[in-house]
Amino acid sequence: MSISTPGGPERRPTVVTTGKKPAAGRPAAGAKAGAGKSTGDAPRTSAGGKGKGPRKPIAPVKVSQGRSWGPIALFTAVGVLAVGIIGFGAWATFQGSKPWEDRAADISGIVNFRKTDPDLVKGSNHQPGSIKYAQSPPVAGPHNATWQNCMGNVYDAPIANEHAVHSLEHGAVWITYRPDLPADEVAKLKSKVEGQEKLMLSPFEGQDKPISLQAWGYQLKVDNADDSRIDEFIKTLRVNASIEGPTANCGEPGITATGTTPRDGAPMPTQ
Amino acid sequence: MTAPTTTEPDTAEAPAADGDGGPTTARRFGTLAVVAAVVVGLLLGYAGGLLTPKLTRPGDASAEAGFARDMTTHHAQAVEMGLIAFQQGTDAEVVSIGGDIATGQQGEIGTMQTWLRSWGLDPTGSQPRMAWMPDGTASMKNGLMPGMATPEQMAKLRDTPQGREKDVLFLELMIQHHLGGVHMIDGILDASDDPEVVRVAQTMKNTQQTDLTNLTAARDRLAKG
Repeated sequence: MSISTPGGPERRPTVVTTGKKPAAGRPAAGAKAGAGKSTGDAPRTSAGGKGKGPRKPIAPVKVSQGRSWGPIALFTAVGVLAVGIIGFGAWATFQGSKPWEDRAADISGIVNFRKTDPDLVKGSNHQPGSIKYAQSPPVAGPHNATWQNCMGNVYDAPIANEHAVHSLEHGAVWITYRPDLPADEVAKLKSKVEGQEKLMLSPFEGQDKPISLQAWGYQLKVDNADDSRIDEFIKTLRVNASIEGPTANCGEPGITATGTTPRDGAPMPTQ
Repeated sequence: MTAPTTTEPDTAEAPAADGDGGPTTARRFGTLAVVAAVVVGLLLGYAGGLLTPKLTRPGDASAEAGFARDMTTHHAQAVEMGLIAFQQGTDAEVVSIGGDIATGQQGEIGTMQTWLRSWGLDPTGSQPRMAWMPDGTASMKNGLMPGMATPEQMAKLRDTPQGREKDVLFLELMIQHHLGGVHMIDGILDASDDPEVVRVAQTMKNTQQTDLTNLTAARDRLAKG
């Protein structure tokens, strides 16, 4: 690249030879060129001593032609290729290792309450009885001590927010749907949830969109079960969104009962 | 490109004019080139060194990642069963083995989740469940991996009143669960040569095979009595 730029060759042919050497990256070449070529050129007679006097001028011509573009092009091509491969690898790795928070932000329509309401998502106090939530369905906040089982549970009836929010804290993605969602749409959601721990599904009365997804501090509302953002939301936020890490429990001793009345704070059953 | 031919005639005078300038420039130019080459080489080497661990560690579709995710889910159900036995079992061995399985497998979930995190992968995969095992996806039933209890079986285990019937039901379900688990562990032992994954998987297999002996003996004892 830079090798071809100087006007040196036109001014001073000997540089042509040396110009070629650096391409091979050999410092010894410079010394060699000084020793071999200049002496070979300057006293023409010595060159003639070889018995090829008249043809000597041809030698520099060969040297000039020896600045062959083949190797230069080859090295350049190999260099560009190497930089390209490594650059692509670095780029791909960088993209692939984007933190889940960044990937979550890339999901269109997602609402991140960690930004809009940081106090809501950092608190996770246990509180008995009914609790009022600002979001519907709720996405974070205080909750009952008992969690709703989120071992891929499919609930056919609405469940209590106060238990469900505890499941979100444990890393669950809670999918809710309006009770009027067609049965085939519900079946699609069910197939995503069944058998997958840290997921649960339930109908939710009065939600403003047919389907809503909740993770701790995040919400995404969509119109139908084929929306690709559903899988994206689950992949990005399931477990990752938990503020208690990947080993928080979604099974026993949680509850599997349905009904929107929270159970904590109810009087202890008398024996 | 045409430079070489046009300079031909000058070759004779050139050495005289630049008698000592030529070699010096050549040496300087050569040194520069070498330095540049060394710097570029070091940069490429550094980039390669940064990338190599990321390119060689298990990827999103690898058997190791599939195993870590699927075995986490499989284990999570065993933890649930174990805690039911620990909390509601009647027979002393059922209570202790339930607690043992719940704590042991929950610990292994932590190990597997740590792998995923250190590999830069999500706990949730983009591949279907069991896709990492030959004929794995065919072994899935209603989203359940081999040996896993159905929601109905789990509900029955939860709802059966405390007593021998509940204990035996737990043992039966856990025996099936472990048989499926050992099948999956064999799958990763065949597929992986990651020393850490193989070591942990082998430990899981040892534990579950010992459990199977004890679970079966307890089942036979309780079923007879």
